[in-house]
Amino acid sequence: MMSAMRSAQIAIAGIVAAFPLVPTAVSAASVEENAQTCAGCHGENGVPQAKTTPIIWGQNEGYLYIQLRDFKSGARKSDQMSAVVASLEKADFKALAAHFAGLKWPILGQPSPPKDAAKAALTVIGSVGCTSCHLDQFQGDGTTARLAGQQSEYLFNTMTAFRDGSRANNPGMSDLMKAVQPSDIKPLAEYLASLQVVGGQQ
Amino acid sequence: MVRMKSSHARAAALTALLAFSALPASAQEIEHHKTEKAKPAAPAPTVTQEMLTNAGSDAKQFLHTNANYEQTRFYPGKQINASNVSKLRPAWIFQMDVRESLETSPIIVGEVMYVTTSFDHVYALNAKTGEEYWHYKHKMGPITTYCCGPNNRGVAVLGDKVYFATLDAKLVALDAKTGSLVWETEIADPELGYSETMAPSAVNGKILIGTNGGEYGIRGFFRAYDANTGKLVWNFDTVPEDSVGVWATKDASGHDMHRDIAAEKAQLAKTGDPYKTLGGGVWQNPAVDLKLNRIYFVVGNPSPDLDGSKRPGDNLYTDSLVALDLDTGKYVCHFQYIPHDVWDLDSVSPPILIDVKDKDGKTVPGVVHAGKTGYVYVNKRDDCGIIRISDVMVAQENFWTLPTPKGARMLPGANGGVEWSPMAVNQRLNLTYAVNLHQPMTYQVQTSPYPEGKLWLGGAFKVIPGEEQFGNVSAVNYNTGKIKWQVQTPQPMMGGVLATAGDLVFTGEANGWFRAYDAESGKILWSFQSGAGVNAPPSAYAIDGKEYVVVGAGGNTQIDFKRGNNIIAFTLD
Ligand code: HEC
Ligand code: HEC
Repeated sequence: MMSAMRSAQIAIAGIVAAFPLVPTAVSAASVEENAQTCAGCHGENGVPQAKTTPIIWGQNEGYLYIQLRDFKSGARKSDQMSAVVASLEKADFKALAAHFAGLKWPILGQPSPPKDAAKAALTVIGSVGCTSCHLDQFQGDGTTARLAGQQSEYLFNTMTAFRDGSRANNPGMSDLMKAVQPSDIKPLAEYLASLQVVGGQQ
Repeated sequence: MVRMKSSHARAAALTALLAFSALPASAQEIEHHKTEKAKPAAPAPTVTQEMLTNAGSDAKQFLHTNANYEQTRFYPGKQINASNVSKLRPAWIFQMDVRESLETSPIIVGEVMYVTTSFDHVYALNAKTGEEYWHYKHKMGPITTYCCGPNNRGVAVLGDKVYFATLDAKLVALDAKTGSLVWETEIADPELGYSETMAPSAVNGKILIGTNGGEYGIRGFFRAYDANTGKLVWNFDTVPEDSVGVWATKDASGHDMHRDIAAEKAQLAKTGDPYKTLGGGVWQNPAVDLKLNRIYFVVGNPSPDLDGSKRPGDNLYTDSLVALDLDTGKYVCHFQYIPHDVWDLDSVSPPILIDVKDKDGKTVPGVVHAGKTGYVYVNKRDDCGIIRISDVMVAQENFWTLPTPKGARMLPGANGGVEWSPMAVNQRLNLTYAVNLHQPMTYQVQTSPYPEGKLWLGGAFKVIPGEEQFGNVSAVNYNTGKIKWQVQTPQPMMGGVLATAGDLVFTGEANGWFRAYDAESGKILWSFQSGAGVNAPPSAYAIDGKEYVVVGAGGNTQIDFKRGNNIIAFTLD
């Protein structure tokens, strides 16, 4: 009994050492405040106002951080987002990324594409090997985006932007999209949008 | 950065925990661990250098990722052999929490087995019963940058610690008995494209490790850390400041690579040596020669993978065998298989140190490596020079066709040939066993500037829909270069091989079949359906006079094989 207690305590201490509970440099209030601004477009409940605005609730933390960093540096261009990040700094990006990654991805229930469109999408996915980076069921991880259940129109726009170079913050993704036929992009977007989010891979 | 954990820090942390216990997230953790039944510590004996040195003749334990310092993946036990392997059956199956790509090599110390999973969990198991002693989950940093699956290939063991490396580019030491954290060192910045999936190696108080990142414009390295403190002992940059080389127009096998040397020279004059962002990861274990006091490893592809226009020269030491002094990390010799690679055909299957016949039939110390090209390369250990190149194990079609903007078809594809899968050798038969992929691809080239740690492929490689894909298990005589036997498998092969003194060869397939082959003839002697892709290298060990073969069945992310979460140990009745 005694030794069981002791090892439980050590286990707890181990967890704490591994996950320090030290607050981040930015105070909780300012993350909340900053997040308020985001709700105007990305949604009060995680469902974006416009179909061309991406879901950011429940997106992967590393990916969110890198996008905010890239909007700020200009590597990724968006009039709306560059205005938003102009007054924010790296520590804010980290805090915002952690904040939105911790929220629940909204289920939009977008319909599955027709059979031949799904088939076209799966052929491209198998050929390029999209899941080797976006992982099983397109959940993504780290700095790679979750695609499952993302807004269909946004996915179409951003893949097109990768392809024509107007989204230039990831040349690797641009190269891969250039290897995809333009007519396959819509089926891909619809297929990815119709997938379910499986709430974390662990 | 090195973080030491003392009992003092523990006490402080515990206080902090009590103070913050109102926070919902941590409260959950506490609940979870309070209700978990306390498990006995793992009874792992201390691993001495002598044990590691003599691992090749130890049939009880499996102490190195590739069985021994020579990386022969040859198990000296013969209780399980060609005459009785048909009676092999599962002794136990352990199901892990993570159901993702599984590439771990089980390590067995005494009666304790260590295995790892995708996303960097480590388990200590009872090797006899499959019961869990402890389970460590690495707390992943938010930023990870890796291309080809959240893999982890296993642990290294030394003293009373187990060592592993993580997707967020940390080297971690755990207490072998309790699984508690001893130290953690940041190897490199994941925001710049560095990550870790390989198992470290342990030798003479050092922990050896390379890095991934050839798809992100890193500058590759190979390093030694102090096993006790986690401090850096030495660093070797796999890309030297003069990476140009000799402007070789042919690869090691003598095929013309269609380089435009004049254009490359003009580019060099304009932009200088590209060494800072040239890639050159090392993502599989080195072989260790304790007599020569050297290590031998192979270096991965140049960055960007498919676009050579901005990286003039041979791109040393990418796609090469490299030997270093073990104590100092100083360069000894190298041999480049593919100068100025534009097909992502990096050198990755771990090199093996065995005696081989040289060109005059004299026995000399050799290094044997399987390339993504589909060749087995046999090199000399003294100066890294080439002795011979085997028959090609996978058909070559349009070999060294340059990638084009529209896409050009070539076989082998970017996975090889032979991928990271380690070979195994049987020195009685002079055979090395490799697993192959037959996977034609189209290679497309695009030019873009260095993207500061983002994906930088320089184009795309695509599997061709409708074209046939398959695999082989190949046995190659390293003294003649001839293929002795070859067995075709329905899917491309990725995982690795174990050979045994029972004249068996074990390897698994994407469709879940784990098989034993006759080492001499290639006849299939035993098969087991594992329910998920067997894409991990097998290990073997013995407890109470009983031999076991163990393998992970969890599928693979990179080529999307059926996922699972099983470690399966087999034995005879
Ligand atoms: C005025 C509307 C607007 C506001 C306010 C706004 N966003 Fe955005 N956001 C967008 C749009 C539109 C895009 C898509 C940009 C594009 O692809 O061109 C976007 C994209 C993003 C992305 C990239 C997502 C992805 O999947 O690539 C992130 C991350 C993001 N926003 C975070 C935030 C955060 C955090 C805030 C608050 C601090 C915020 N946004 C406020 C409109 C807005
Ligand atoms: C080699 C790795 C890799 C492969 C293969 C890959 N991706 Fe990506 N993808 C990424 C990374 C990394 C990002 C994040 C880009 C960034 O840094 O902005 C990304 C981003 C994306 C995005 C943008 C998500 C968002 O929220 O804006 C889409 C859409 C996408 N990928 C689709 C695909 C599709 C479809 C395929 C296959 C045809 C594919 N990817 C293959 C690595 C990959």
